This record gives sequence, C-alpha cells and structure tokens, in this order.
Amino acid sequence: MTAVQKRVLINKIVLGLSTLSAIIAIAFLFWILGVLVMKGVGALNWDIFIFEGSPPGYAESGLKHALVGQLILVSLATFIGVPFGILAGTYLSEYGKNSKLAHAIRDISDIMMSAPSIVIGAFVYAIVVMPMGHFSAWAGAIALAIIMIPIILRTTDDMLQLVPGTLREAAFALGAPKYKVIMDVVYRGAKAGILTGVLLGIARVGGETAPLLFTSFNDNFFTTDLNEAMPSLTVTMFNYAISPYEDWQQLGWAAAFILSMFILGLNIVGRLILFAGKRK
Amino acid sequence: MASIIDIKDECALHVRDFEFTYKGAPAPSLKKVTMPIAKHSITALIGPSGCGKTTLLRSFNRMHDLYPGNTYNGEIEFEGRNILGAKEDLIHLRTKIGMIFQKPTAFPMSIFDNVAYGMRLQGIKNKTELRDRVEKALQDAAIWKEVSDRLKNDANGLSGGQQQRLCIARAIAVEPEVLLFDEPTSALDPISTQGIEKLVIELKEKVSIIIVTHNMQQAARVSDYTGFMYLGELIELGHTEELFVTPKEKLTQEYITGKFG
Amino acid sequence: MIDKIFSNLTRFSALLILVIVAWIFVELYNQSLEAINAFGFDFITKDEWAPNVDKFGAYAAIFGSVASTFLAMLFAIPIAIGVAIFLSEIAHDKIKGFFGVSVELLAAIPSVIYGMWGLFYFVPIIRDLFGGMGIGLLSAGIVLSIMILPFMAAVTRDAMNTTPDILKESAYALGGTQWDVIKDVIIPYARAGIIGSIILALGRAIGETMAVTFVMGNVHHTPSAITDPTTSIPVTLANEFAEADSSLYFSSLFELALLLLAMSFVVIAIAKFYFLRKERRGV
Ligand SMILES: Nc1ncnc2c1ncn2[C@@H]1O[C@H](COP(=O)(O)OP(=O)(O)OP(=O)(O)O)[C@@H](O)[C@H]1O
Ligand SMILES: [Mg+2]
Repeated sequence: MTAVQKRVLINKIVLGLSTLSAIIAIAFLFWILGVLVMKGVGALNWDIFIFEGSPPGYAESGLKHALVGQLILVSLATFIGVPFGILAGTYLSEYGKNSKLAHAIRDISDIMMSAPSIVIGAFVYAIVVMPMGHFSAWAGAIALAIIMIPIILRTTDDMLQLVPGTLREAAFALGAPKYKVIMDVVYRGAKAGILTGVLLGIARVGGETAPLLFTSFNDNFFTTDLNEAMPSLTVTMFNYAISPYEDWQQLGWAAAFILSMFILGLNIVGRLILFAGKRK
Repeated sequence: MASIIDIKDECALHVRDFEFTYKGAPAPSLKKVTMPIAKHSITALIGPSGCGKTTLLRSFNRMHDLYPGNTYNGEIEFEGRNILGAKEDLIHLRTKIGMIFQKPTAFPMSIFDNVAYGMRLQGIKNKTELRDRVEKALQDAAIWKEVSDRLKNDANGLSGGQQQRLCIARAIAVEPEVLLFDEPTSALDPISTQGIEKLVIELKEKVSIIIVTHNMQQAARVSDYTGFMYLGELIELGHTEELFVTPKEKLTQEYITGKFG
Repeated sequence: MIDKIFSNLTRFSALLILVIVAWIFVELYNQSLEAINAFGFDFITKDEWAPNVDKFGAYAAIFGSVASTFLAMLFAIPIAIGVAIFLSEIAHDKIKGFFGVSVELLAAIPSVIYGMWGLFYFVPIIRDLFGGMGIGLLSAGIVLSIMILPFMAAVTRDAMNTTPDILKESAYALGGTQWDVIKDVIIPYARAGIIGSIILALGRAIGETMAVTFVMGNVHHTPSAITDPTTSIPVTLANEFAEADSSLYFSSLFELALLLLAMSFVVIAIAKFYFLRKERRGV
C-alpha cells in the first residue's frame, strides 16, 4: 500500500467513526425524545388541566396547581429580569461601550450564564427565605430572575451593537436627546433581536428546577399567593418522578412533555423571529 | 463572437465547451468556455468582478468538488485525459495542479512543516530528502535567505508577502505541472507585489501558470497570453501584447480602456 | 433631565449584576462561616456526613462531583468531537441544517428530563449489566455525559467553523484528504476554541444538578466501585437543603454551595479568558 492509499484508507475510517458518533449521539437523543413523547402524550388528558394535585391513588388528580404556579413564577421572573436585563444591556452597548467596566460586566455575565443554578437557589434562600421565615413564590421568582438577567443583558448588548451607528447619528443630527434616540431608533432597530433574547431567556429559566427546590419549594396545592410556597412544573415533575406511585409518575411525564413543548416552542419561535429579522 | 487564438505550442491544459453552474444558481456562471493554456508560459485571466475568473480557475483542480451540488460539463484536457471524469483521482490531480489563493494561507505550523506538508502527504519521510527539497522550494520561491535561520518558527509570524511566497514554496515543493494563482497580490503592498510578480515570471521555466488578476498592468507585465472574460464567457484570448494594444473584440477594447467595469 | 435619569437607570442596572455576583459570594461565605470555623479543612478531607451528630465532612460529595464530571467528560468528549467533525466537515447542507438545529434544541431541553429518563430507562440497564442498584457513579456519569453532549458538540462545531475556508482549501489543493485537513489545519487552527468549548462544557457539568440527582443515590460514602451509589455537591444540596434542621447543617450546605460556585467559576473563567478570548488571526 502506498502512503497515499494509506491516507485515503485512514480518512475513510476516521470519517466513518465520526459519522458513527453522530449516529450514537442522535440515537440517544431520539431515545430520550421518544420516551418523552410516548410517555408524555400517553399521560395527557383534560383532567390534567382541570384538577389539582392530590394524594396518590386519587382519581381526580391533575397538574393545574403546577401549571399555574409555573406560569406565575416564570412571569414574575420575567417582569423582574427583563427590564433590568435590557437596561443593563443598553448601558453596555450605548454608554459603557469599550470601557473596562463594560467589559468586566460582560465577562461576569458570561460566567454567570454557565454558573450552577442550584447555587443561586442557596443564595436566594439566604437572602429571602431565611428573613421571611418561609418559602415563597417571590423567592423562586427572584432566583429565576437572577439567572435570566445575564442572558437578556448579553443578547441586548449584542443586538443593540448590530444597529448601525449611522442610524444613531442621523437621529442625533435631528436634535434628539440620547434617551430618545435609544428608545425610538436603537430599540426599534433591534426589536427582533431583543425579543429573541427575551424568549430564549424565558425558555432557559422555564426549565430550571434546582433553584426552585428551596425557594418557591413545592406544595401539592393550588395557590396564587405570592407569599406562599408555590408549586412549579419542574419541581412537581421531580417529586412525582422519584415517588413510588405509578399515577404520580405518569403525571410527572405529562408535566415533562408539556414543559418541553413549551420550551422547544419558545426556542423555535425565538429563532424564527431572528431569522425573519435577518432576511429583511 | 469570441476570438480565441490558436496556440501552436504544446498546451498544458485545454478547456473545451466547459459549462459550470453553482448549486441552486438560476444560470450557469461559465458558458461554453473553450480555452487552450500554453505550456511553460503565463496566461492571465482578466475581466470585471463576477465574470467567472475564479470559477474557471477553481475548475482546473476540481476545487468545486469540495462543495456538493455544483454541476459542470464539457471537457478539460490535462496530460491526455479529461480531468472532469468521475474516476479522476483528485488527490493526484491536485498534486499536479497547485493553487495559490487571494490571501496568504500559511498553516498553523512551522515554516519548515508548511513547505514539507505536501511532500509528507505523498509519503516522503526521509529527513535529508525533505530538508533538501524544502530548501530548494524556498530558494525557488525567493524566500530562503529570509527564513533559513528560523525554519522552526511559526509561519504566521512572517509578513504577508513572505507568507505568500511561503505558500508558493509549499505549492512548488510537490513539483506540480501547473500553478493556479487567484489574485495572489490583492492583499499585498506594492513592494511585496513586485517580488511575487518577479517570482511568477521565473517560475514559468518549470511550470505552466494561470493567474487571475484585477490589475491590468499586472497582466500586461507578467503574462504571455491574456484571456478576457465577461459574464461567464471567454470573449478573447490572445498574446498579451496584442490583446492590450490591438484587441480584436469591441468588449475587450472597452474594458481595457476603462469604459466599463 | 430625562436623559440623565435614563442613563443612570441603565448604569444602575448594569452595576447590579456586579453587585449580585459579589453579594452571592459574600453571602455564601458568611453563611458558611459556622461550618468553616467548626471543621476547617476537615470539611473537605473527611467523608463522615452525620447530621444526627452535627458532623459534616464533604469529601464524598466533592469526590462525587469530580468523579461524575470526569466520567461524563470521558464519554462525552470523543463523541462530541466526532459529532462536531460530522457537522462541520462531513454532513451535506441539508443534514447539517437539520442535525445542527436538532442539536441546539436538544441543548435547550431541561436537564430534569434527562434525569427522569436516566432513572426510568437507563438505570435499569446498568442494574442488569452490573448488578447492584443501578443508581450510582457510573449512571450519573453517563447521564451527565448525554445531557452535556449537545452543548459540547454545538460549541465545538462553532469553534471548528471559525477555520477560514481558504485555509482548508489550501490543504485540499495540496492533495489532502478530509481527515488530513481536519487534523493538520482545522484542529491546530481552532485548538484554543475547541479546548475552551470542552472546558466550558465541563464547567457546566460540575454544577449540573437535576440530571444527576435522580441517578446518583445521595449516599455520603466515597464509592469503592464505579457502580456504587454516592453523592455530589449539587445532589447533596438538592436533597438536603429543604430538610436541614440545625444551623451547623445549614452552614455546611452553604459551604458546599460556595465550594461548587468557586469550582465552576474558576473552570468557566479559564475557558473564557484563557481559551475563548476572541483573537484575530492573519487569514
Ligand atoms: N459559491 C457560489 N455560489 C453561487 N454562485 C457563486 C458562487 N461563487 C461565485 N458565484 C457566482 O458566479 C459568478 C462568477 O463568480 P466568480 O467568483 O468566478 O467571479 P470572479 O470573476 O472571480 O469575480 P471577482 O473578480 O470578484 O473575484 C458570479 O456571478 C458569482 O455571483
Ligand atoms: Mg475571483
């Protein structure tokens, strides 16, 4: 065999191995997705949306408490996190720019985006739950907001920077004050990008379990009181899945399915918005 | 009608009725191009941006095959065979037809390893042979004096002009028959450009050269033949002095006098 | 006037993130003080974790974190690099698009779902193969590797894709095969980015809670076999935080959280600042 033939052979082998690893990866991932869909769809029915949590073995049990709780927690986190995130991103892109401070904030946010979310839960436990003396929806939402802020901040920063400088200059030339320019020109220009960032941020915190475990905690009851422990889909899923009761486990899969669809949906919509924005 | 001169000497390559369409493109980028390339001489390709110069050049070493979905037909004859055949050994073809790009493309490795790369691919392991041929290639590429004392250094530490000559050394080290240059000086300063032009002229003793350039003076300075392309067609191919002084086609005349493009 | 208010509002929001991060460290440290004073270095070198007698040694949890992350990396790195090569160099455009988006979407699936799948579908296989409970270090490592794989593959692919086309084409033009181009051009060129991506994935794996909580066992015991149940820092926190009943117990859990934060902070910072600094190259 000549050297070149040997190279061609090695090439085939390595490319084969690489394709094989792709197949292995996709097989595992489809296995997981398949389980999620089969189990989840199998467990879906209207009762889930009508009934609250109940003890195992009870016919009239559902996930209404967790669905509503999840919605409240994520909305509350969004209301706290999005304004701070967008304002902070605005500072980086429009005021801080290339200053040392701006770069430090970007770097720290990047690290925070990958930092363990359970630690955020412990922190919120210390600053909210301990002083209050009990778990609460507020605590859970604050934990989620802390996770969300760096994500929104970084996407806002990136997206605002994509708005051409000439557009800002044109507005300044008309005598508009800076905040007006930002509100009317820059935000408008980066609308799609900011929205995508917000959607991806919501998707990210929507799937979080760890930071809720000891902040909003989880009761098996329906509540809308923000000062009380509040159930969420993720923690409910966790509790039900590790329980020995089959009907609870079923509900756990249903919750997993609903949550995944919600998160995948947000991701897909976010990408489509960005894609549509780019094409224009 | 195109005006293509008949080349009396032996041809290195002969393009016949070559048509090329990029994947998904509505129209072909090259339309029925027929073009002889003279051996041991320099053929320049000129023409306005987007006329298909690069597309034609990259057909000679089947670079387009790296990206699936492009379609082509016609014939490119090289060493007595049509290299567009499905059975063509592309690895072998590319060692016979080398290429220099618009920007220097030094690999992330030492100067020596850059030049030795093509030879190693061919299985040459003998240290003295490698060293001799690397030195020879660097000398032929007129860069030996500048780098002989730092062959082990990272090639990315060289200047742009030096890197481009290194790339030429790398290409000639495998002793190709043909060298393809796609605007090799467009990223370089005037002094480096001069050096590369001088080198290209020296190289034609050993290899046949095709050079794409946007710079008509450059084409006039270095080439023996010049082909003028327009909208995917070869409008005129002639001796360089004749084409620039007495073009046969009206389009050529307009282009070289700067009436368009 | 409004201008001033607006600019101060943005500055305040931006500074808030720094304040929060500093606050997290300070608060966790303050909360840990009791445990730090009580146990000193014994906290990280002893593995006796006995809430009933208020003795807390976190060696098993730290070991479990490191070992499960190590196992996860062992399984995930080769596959992720294979997938990244497939995605950047082998797959045709259509497959690339479909597969690439799938990988990114899979990276967005909540990790609690990987954990559930692991508990119900993967643990039984390990149990059948190796005996025992199935729950343990090995299961945790594998589930963690599957969870981290899409992210790792996606960022590694992105790093590989930074290699300029003409650099790759130059190697093809010398008669290189795809593998020659990958090993001689792409990997050397994108080396920093590839290593950075892998370390970043490692940083995420260390702090991952839900994928492993289901399948690790939460036993404060340094495992003697790879299939033994054990615990890790996040697993301990997830299982015990809401149930802790003494202030020293709480303090010990806070110290664990602090250790975890410090570990992942350092790893992520190394990835970000040492390997993933955007640098412009010549080509
Ligand atoms: N990868 C591609 N896919 C689709 N169309 C392409 C591609 N590359 C080039 N084209 C089109 O093919 C035509 C010829 O392009 P080519 O790059 O060969 O021109 P050129 O003469 O080299 O131009 P320039 O002087 O700007 O380098 C152009 O219309 C261009 O838009
Ligand atoms: Mg070109």
